Order: sequence, then C-alpha cells, then structure tokens
Amino acid sequence: MKKFSMLILALAFMLAGCNSETKTLKVFNWGVYMDASLIDEFEEEYNIRVVYDEFDSNESMYTKLMSGEKYDVIVPSDYMVQRLIEENLLQKIDKDVVSLDDVLPNVLNKSFDPNNDYSAPYFWGNVGILYDTTKVDVSDLEAGWDILLNVKYKGDIYFYDSERDAFLVALKALGYSANSKDDAQLNKAFDWLTQLNTTMEPIYVTDDVIDNMIAGNKAIAIVYSGDAAYILDENEDMAYYVPEAGTNLWVDSMVIPANAENPDLANAWIAFMLSEDAQSRNTIEVGYSTVHKTVYEFMISDEGDYAGNEAYAVRTDYDKDEIFKYDQELKVKMSDLWLKIKAQ
Amino acid sequence: MVGIKKHNLTKFLIVAGVLSFFYLPILSLMVFSFNDSRSLTSWSGFSLQWYKALFENREMMTAITTTITIALISTFVATVMGTLAAIGISKSRRIIKELVLSVNSFPILNPEIVTAIGLMLLYSSLNIEKGFLTMLLAHIIFSTPYVILSVLPRLRRLDPDIAEAALDLGATPLQALWKVIVPMITPGIVSGALIAFTMSFDDFVISYFVSGNGVKNISILVYTMSKRINPTINALSTILVVIITIVLLVVNLYPFITKKELKEAE
Amino acid sequence: MKGYASLVKPYIFWMSLFIVVPMLLIVLYAFTEHGNALMAFRFTLDNFLKFFDPVFIKVLFKSLEVAIITTLFCILIGYPIAYIISNTSERIQTLLILLITLPMWINMLVRTYAWISILSDGGILNSIFEFLGLPPIKMMYTDFAVMLGMVYNFLPFMIISIYTVLAKLDKALIHASHDLGANPVQTFLRIVLPLSMPGVISGITLVFLPAVSTFVIPKFLGGGQYMLIGNLIENQFITVGEWNFGSAISLIMAMIIMGSMILTRKIDRDASDTKNVEGGKAW
Repeated sequence: MKKFSMLILALAFMLAGCNSETKTLKVFNWGVYMDASLIDEFEEEYNIRVVYDEFDSNESMYTKLMSGEKYDVIVPSDYMVQRLIEENLLQKIDKDVVSLDDVLPNVLNKSFDPNNDYSAPYFWGNVGILYDTTKVDVSDLEAGWDILLNVKYKGDIYFYDSERDAFLVALKALGYSANSKDDAQLNKAFDWLTQLNTTMEPIYVTDDVIDNMIAGNKAIAIVYSGDAAYILDENEDMAYYVPEAGTNLWVDSMVIPANAENPDLANAWIAFMLSEDAQSRNTIEVGYSTVHKTVYEFMISDEGDYAGNEAYAVRTDYDKDEIFKYDQELKVKMSDLWLKIKAQ
Repeated sequence: MVGIKKHNLTKFLIVAGVLSFFYLPILSLMVFSFNDSRSLTSWSGFSLQWYKALFENREMMTAITTTITIALISTFVATVMGTLAAIGISKSRRIIKELVLSVNSFPILNPEIVTAIGLMLLYSSLNIEKGFLTMLLAHIIFSTPYVILSVLPRLRRLDPDIAEAALDLGATPLQALWKVIVPMITPGIVSGALIAFTMSFDDFVISYFVSGNGVKNISILVYTMSKRINPTINALSTILVVIITIVLLVVNLYPFITKKELKEAE
Repeated sequence: MKGYASLVKPYIFWMSLFIVVPMLLIVLYAFTEHGNALMAFRFTLDNFLKFFDPVFIKVLFKSLEVAIITTLFCILIGYPIAYIISNTSERIQTLLILLITLPMWINMLVRTYAWISILSDGGILNSIFEFLGLPPIKMMYTDFAVMLGMVYNFLPFMIISIYTVLAKLDKALIHASHDLGANPVQTFLRIVLPLSMPGVISGITLVFLPAVSTFVIPKFLGGGQYMLIGNLIENQFITVGEWNFGSAISLIMAMIIMGSMILTRKIDRDASDTKNVEGGKAW
C-alpha cells in the first residue's frame, strides 16, 4: 500500500516536472483555425512546446484574459484588437522580427491599428449568407438580409452565435451602420432579431455550422466567408451571397499581450505564421482567405485551390462594407440586448 | 397459463425496450469508430484509422494522461483525508459532528456549477494561476465528502470498545488506528475510493471552470472537439466502454470464480 | 478515544477554506458591483434586480419546467422497470442492474455526444425513417432532444434508487397482504407503493437537481439559443465576464433548489413516520 502510494506520488512529480523543463509558447486562437502540422513544425524548429488553446468568440477570449490567464499570442478580431489597444493590454510587435511586406495592402493600416504597431493580420473575410441552391429561390435573395425573415425558410436557418455579427446583420438589414450607437437604431435591431427568433426558429451555432451545412441539414446559414469557402469546396449545392445592403470586412490579427511571458518567441511565431509556406498550408487546411500577397494571388487563380470560390475572393471596395469599431458604451448596450435575445 | 405468459412477455419487452434505449447510442458510437470515412451516419467500410489517429493525437493522449493522473492522485488524497476526517467526526461531540456534516454536504447538495464557480472565484481572488494543480485540488475538494459519507456508516457500526481494548493492550493510537479500526471499515473506504475515482474521471463542469494553461481532461477535450465531426472521439469512447465493461465484469464475476475455486478445493 | 476526535480538525480547516469561503465569495460577488479586481466593493441589489426581467424569469421557469418533466418521465419509466427487476430471480437481478449501471460509468459528455449523430437531420434515426419510406423528422435542436438527453442521462439514477428500496422490501408483508385477501393492485397501492416512497424521493433528488442546473445537455442537443439557467450562468462567467450577475443568478438557483430539497425532505418525513429509512436513501 505504501509502496503503491509512493509510486503514484513519484509519477505525479515527474509529470509536473516534465512540463517546466522546456520553454512554452502559449497561443490562444479561434477553434478550427490552424493547420496542426504548423504547430508541430514550429515546436521542432525552436525546440519548445506550444500550449494551444482555443476560443469560440472574441467575448469569451476577453473574459479568459481578464480572469488572469497569460498568453503569448492571441488572435482577436478587429474591434477586439482596438479594445485591447485602448485598454493597454498589448505590447508592440517587434518589426525587426516580423515583416509585413508580403501582406495584402487592403488588410493593413486599418482603423483599429493604423500603423500595425500591435497587430499582424492572420486571416480576413466578411460575413454573408450561405445557402443551398437546391432549396433556396435565388429571387428571395434580393431581399438581402431580410431573407432571414422570410417565413418560407422557417426552421431552416443557422444563425451565428456572435453578438457583433448578429447585430451587424440586423443593423444592415435596417439600413443602419454596423457601428451605430444610436439607441433607437439599436432597439430596432433588437426588434428585428426578436422577430427572427420568434417567427423563424433559427438555430444558433458556431463551428458546428460547418459539418451541418456540408451535410446540407438546413437551407440558409449566416457564416464567415472562410467557413463558406470551406463548405463550398465540400458541397457543390452550396453558394455564397453578400447583400447589397452591405456587410462587414473583418481582419483577425495576431497580437502579443502586455503580460506575455515569452515575447521573443511570440514574435518568432508571428513571423513564422506570415511566411509563404505557413500561409499557404494554413489557408488550404482552414479555408479562410490568406493575408499573404503571393499566396492569395495563387489561390484565386485558375490553378489555385479556391479558383472560382466566391466566398474566398472577398469583395474589398464596397463602400457599404464596414469594419467593426469598438466603443465602451456600445459594448454595454449591445451585450445587454444580445443576452436578452439569447434568453428569449 | 396464457395470461401469465403474456404478462411475462410484456415485462420482457419493457425491460428490453429500456435497455435498447440505453445502449443504442453507445453502440452507434462504437460502430462508427470503425468507419472508413469521417461520417457518423453513413457506413463506408471497416477501418482502424480513427484508433491510429487517436494515438497519434498528442492533445488527446495528454488529456487521457491528465485525467488518469488527476483521478489517481485525487482519489488517494481524498480517501486518506476523508477516512481520517470520518474517524474524527465519529468520535466528536454531537454539535461538531452536525456542523461538520452539514458543511461537508454542500459540495454534494449544490449543483456542480455552483461549486465550480465558487472555486473559480476563490482561485481568482487568491490570484492562483489555473492549471493542473488547481484542477487536482478541485477534484480532491469535491471527492472527499463522498468518501466521508461512505466510511461514516461503517464507523457507526464499529464496536467502540475494540479500539479501546487495543490501547489497553499497549498499542499506540496510530497502531490501533491502522491495525484495528481501518481493517474493520475497509469496505467503506474501498467504496468511497471507487466513488471518488469515478467522480474525478468523469468530471466535466468543475474541471471546465477551474482549469487553465491548456490543461484539459477527457471531458473538456470532448466538449471542445464536439463542434466538428470527429470519429477519434468515438474511438476514445469505445476504448473507455470496453475497459469499463471488462472491469465491471471482473468485479462482479470475481466472487463467483473464487467460490468455484473454493468448492473445487474441497 | 478523545484523541481521535482531533482528527477532524484538519478537515474543518480544509472545509473552511475550500467549501465555505467559495460559497461566501459567491454571495459577496452577488451583492457587489463589478468586483473582478479586489477593490471598489459597492454593495448593491442591482444584480438581483437585473434578474427580475421577464426574459430571465422565463429562463428560470423553463429550466424548472424541463427539470420537472424530466423527473416525471424518469419516475414513469423508472418505477415499472425497478419493480419488474426487483421481482425477478436474484441472478437476473444482478445482471439487469449491471446492465443498467454500466452506461452510468461512461462519461456523460460522451453519452450525450452520441445522440447528436442519432438525432440529426441526416442522422441514424432519420436514415432509418428514409429507408422505411417515412418522412424525416426534425429532432435535433428541439425541446424533445434536450429532454431525451436528460432522461437518458438521469434515468439510471432513478431506477437504482427505487430498486434499492424495492429489493429490500420484506416479501413477508406482500404475502401477508395476499393472505388477508387483497388483490395484486390493492397490495401494490396500499403496501408496496408507500413503502417505496423513500426510493422515489431520493431518485427525485438525484434527477431534479442536476436536471435544473445542467448546461451541457442543452448546449449539445438544444443549440446555442436554447438557454436554461445553467447556460445563463455559464454564459455570464465564461463568455460575458459578468461575474457579479452570474453569482446572483447562481444564488437564486441555489435557493430554489435548496427550497425544493427541504420541501421534499419534509414530505418524506411526514409520510414515513418513525420508520428507519436509512436503507432507502442514497446515503
């Protein structure tokens, strides 16, 4: 009995000790957003261990950060990068290690980080309507976002479980700005979402939309363009549509928290992720639009993996497409309203 | 006679119906773990690829090791601490006994999520970084009450004079404890340890709230992986089912086997 | 013997730090404002008032509704099963109980996850319906799916609780009842049923409590919009970061559960007079 317990304790200490010997890089990224072989390659090249954690929304990522977890690299979206910068939670990227020369110009120098001092783009895209061409009447799409209120498709909709994206759809459907702080407009958006909830019985999903739409389980889904690109690849019946009313243009970027324990390794990771080879492998595996100039040109060309994929070649110069902005007041209002929508 | 037969048939069908209800999902899990394609709904042929993927998946293997390690250590600590505490409780004054048992019952009566957030708030307030140790600690915290409740009834039935007699005969309190009391309550200790182990191995809610630093157990891993169709989860589940079945069979058939051996020895 | 009593002291210290303090923290957070940092503790009832919005009350009622229906189904299905099993031969009893407890040992997440592929639109059940020429049924992401998942997970507890009491029932009582002229139905209603109540009560405890507070089953089988009170709490702590509001909700839920536990215990105590029901309860 005593010997057995000694053995257990020894095992425990061994395991606990094992971890603290090698250096670790802690990465916090979206779910289903990385080619795992890249992690292995980085580990081998730098002889370190990568602790790779995943989140499914900017909000839960922020909460985890606030609860005291330290990370070296995180990949938030545009407005969240803005929030982190404003709250002094990030440190600057080392431009000697990280070069942004190969990055597509249309994802650089955006309003949330004008000089890209704190962020390096990772993937980009927009939000749109994924639909089953065998189930959806193309003429119904002319209603734009309001197709989601078309009772013909009741019970046949996946809606994205994300606060900002939900309000993006509602606000754009009503002709307002996605960054509107106006109470009247927000309340109208709330009513729009309530109508969606009560009359259309949508199912709120995140990454589970991918396999569900590949299987063709519903007719319409609100998705990120990258998921759409992946699904279009796997299911020929699917197509992607972005309304004339406009949508957003989002950029997910790699940032380094101010309290990161390994900023050198973090910068190395970012540089690694921006390399042509990594960008190429990542975009093929994940389906989202790459930020690397050469890789992007190739992917949309005739020989590329995403030739003719309307969800991959995202429109970039439409004046009604906006980038999310962060605003403290807006955040509080929107959070409250969103919670009420979910609880309905 | 016909009436009784019909009666028996109905009973049989009801029980069979409920058992199929229980086992249908488990069987479908197991069947599709051998599927040649990535589907969980259409069969394309037999393949062991998902088992291979399971053993090559570093994250899954780490989660399995974490789960087992935490289960073993927390069971050990909870059993020792719980047994000693139970002995102490059984010998305490009525007031202390009632008070301790009331507080002890909180983790049992509280919904798991309440215990979980309580611990999360505790770790946050004390600025403790969440990870392996916080998860281990949490498991010990919620397992010990079960051990106590398992051992206590046995202690109640114990003859109070026996330990006294041992002391009179010259044993130290420690010897009396180890050589007299513990052997008599062993069944309670063992069942307490089993409960502690199962609770730790299967735990999700509490682990989910108190872990960090990339530390995951099997439940957390299944939770995060379930968003995409991933038959490696099926492979892992099948292995778990097989192991559990074997263990339960052995535990239940063991008495019969030893009985047989004794009979043959006569 | 007094020496042994001091063995309880370390555990008292342990409990104070690890059981009592966390509970107090929840209460503290529930009654204060935005206290992630250990400063600016302002006492307020805002968190509770926020909950008394019709939307959240609806969530609470829905959770209670789902939990009660689940418990009822567990009793309706579980009691007959327990009764049938307790009346079979001893060897079959052991076998059947083994078969029923085996799934309980398997991870709850894994068991719930299994239902996704069975209930989904292109899933196993719908494939069978298609094969038989029947129209497909939407089962996934519905109330039905969530309750099915709940009953599936909790039914074994109810069966075991009731069975434990039924198995220990003194058969002599039943024989005596027959001898005195009662038919099987009367025997059941007047003798067996009342005596099995402790098992039913402890079964209700084992089912209702987790059913009201679970968040995994609604999340897997109900979709992101299916919000029960457990989901609400999880959402506040993990996604939104409003620990104060989350703590308030937890307190409200804990109060309700504690209230219903006390109520059930009281019903049990009133019904069973001076009988020693130690064998009937789970502990």
